[in-house]
Amino acid sequence: MAILETKKLTKAFGALTAVNDVSLAVEAGTLHSIIGPNGAGKTTLFNLLTGTFPPSSGRILYDGRDITGTPASRIAHLGLARSYQRTTVFPAFSLLDNVWTAAFATGNSWSGLMWRRTDRYPEVTERARQALSDVGLSSKSNQLAREISHGEHRQLELAIALAAAPRVLLLDEPAAGLSPDETRKMVALVRALKGRYTIVLIEHKMDIIMSVSDRISVMHFGSLIAEGTPEEIQKNPEVRRAYLGGVAA
Amino acid sequence: MKRPFILILVSIFLLPLVVRPAIASEIWIFAIFGLGLNLLLGYTGLLSFGQSTFFGSAAYVAGWLLKFYGINAFLALGIGVGVGAASAALVGYLCVQRSGLYFIMLTFALNQLFYFTAYQWTSVTGGEDGMPGIPRPVLLGIDFKDPLVYYAFVSVLFLISLYAMKRIVESPLGKILQAIRENEIRAEAVGYNVPRFKLLAFIIGGAFSGLAGVLYAMLFGIVPLEAISFVFSGNVVFATLIGGSGSLYGPVIGSFVFIWLSESVSTLWARWPLLLGMAFVIVVLFLRGGIVEAWSRFWLWRSSKQKN
Repeated sequence: MAILETKKLTKAFGALTAVNDVSLAVEAGTLHSIIGPNGAGKTTLFNLLTGTFPPSSGRILYDGRDITGTPASRIAHLGLARSYQRTTVFPAFSLLDNVWTAAFATGNSWSGLMWRRTDRYPEVTERARQALSDVGLSSKSNQLAREISHGEHRQLELAIALAAAPRVLLLDEPAAGLSPDETRKMVALVRALKGRYTIVLIEHKMDIIMSVSDRISVMHFGSLIAEGTPEEIQKNPEVRRAYLGGVAA
Repeated sequence: MKRPFILILVSIFLLPLVVRPAIASEIWIFAIFGLGLNLLLGYTGLLSFGQSTFFGSAAYVAGWLLKFYGINAFLALGIGVGVGAASAALVGYLCVQRSGLYFIMLTFALNQLFYFTAYQWTSVTGGEDGMPGIPRPVLLGIDFKDPLVYYAFVSVLFLISLYAMKRIVESPLGKILQAIRENEIRAEAVGYNVPRFKLLAFIIGGAFSGLAGVLYAMLFGIVPLEAISFVFSGNVVFATLIGGSGSLYGPVIGSFVFIWLSESVSTLWARWPLLLGMAFVIVVLFLRGGIVEAWSRFWLWRSSKQKN
């Protein structure tokens, strides 16, 4: 069953149609990748899915429910969490506080919001620690986010998304700017998360995509041009043309 | 955590020996005002240039009721807190729709709106002459006309305010407001309705301002027009920045320095704001964390020397 679905989703910024008539169905429990050249509209698609801005037309269905136009701050509560391509964390917070803030948002209750000390929420803190340990940052939980390396920022980015205890993870280029060695670690991490969550992955690096994806959708100039298993996509002539600028095929 | 509290307690006892009780009271009143602003400025990262809107509105409303209806002092304080919070809800609702410079200008413009209303509405506010004749009612058989007794009353309310603010900034709300300051986009994405939390910060800040406003009116027996003017709004920002907007105690220290300087040095030297101006330049250029940062840097420097 499709847990996340878009129907003829379109977003236009003036004359530019960044996302054009995209109909996509993500099956529950799978890892579904979205690939495409720079500027293909992948991140815009994520922004639509997470309510950063509303679509110009079309619909978004989550778990069979129409969530089109739901504001960003509600989306996390529905069970959709995202990570960002450009690191978007809370720099002056410790790593634990970064994930704690995300864990609290989707916690069972906000009782004591204005009065109870933050260390008196054992279940939230537990979930936050778990998210940090899932990405391998447990040992740095008291360090400030502004003091860690780029690679660790990418891990923290992922941990903040995990702390929300989501059903669907939307990962926007988790390996952006990572060294080959760090990339391997990140791939192992994503693979470990596979199965526990439904994952929608945006990625540029082909080797990552082909090794972890169950299904792949290819975007080009805002439109979906192909969808299939990694093997099917590798053989698809239209995809090759999009990637190699019409030379091949 | 214990040391600042002991320092404050000692200051509360020593202060009346050094300055007139009225000035001593003003210091703690202004500190309450600063605590409210700092929730916005230091914790949420919102520069409000209109805090006197809430301070002044509360002072006028409670002052009017004290003067003509002789209400109980506790009731006056409660009404002040309510008026402060309500006016902050109104102003905040309009301001949080915008961000950055537009936000700051809106807080300022709405402050001016309230100021000119008070200025024109002379039958109630007394316009430029202020609203005089505000009594300090007897409470539980205690006569607040004695300046020292009133000072004790103000000190207790200050300590309660400080405790309340400490609880707030250490609560999840405090963390969420700081998360908004650090990264609004991510705060929204992890599931917080950012404008609503900003509004909440405004309302809490307004309640503190309102409490300070009523205490101020009862202290001097008058609500001067300045109490709702941008000068007051600026002063509290100024004091908070000098003290250190990054910490809970910053505005308390700032208020101490600001009121003391303005009350004691102003009698010696008419150009005293020059000193404040210099202090402000130094803080902005070299000490973004204000006196609190200077203090912690000093201790860091000392402990590093002792190790060697």
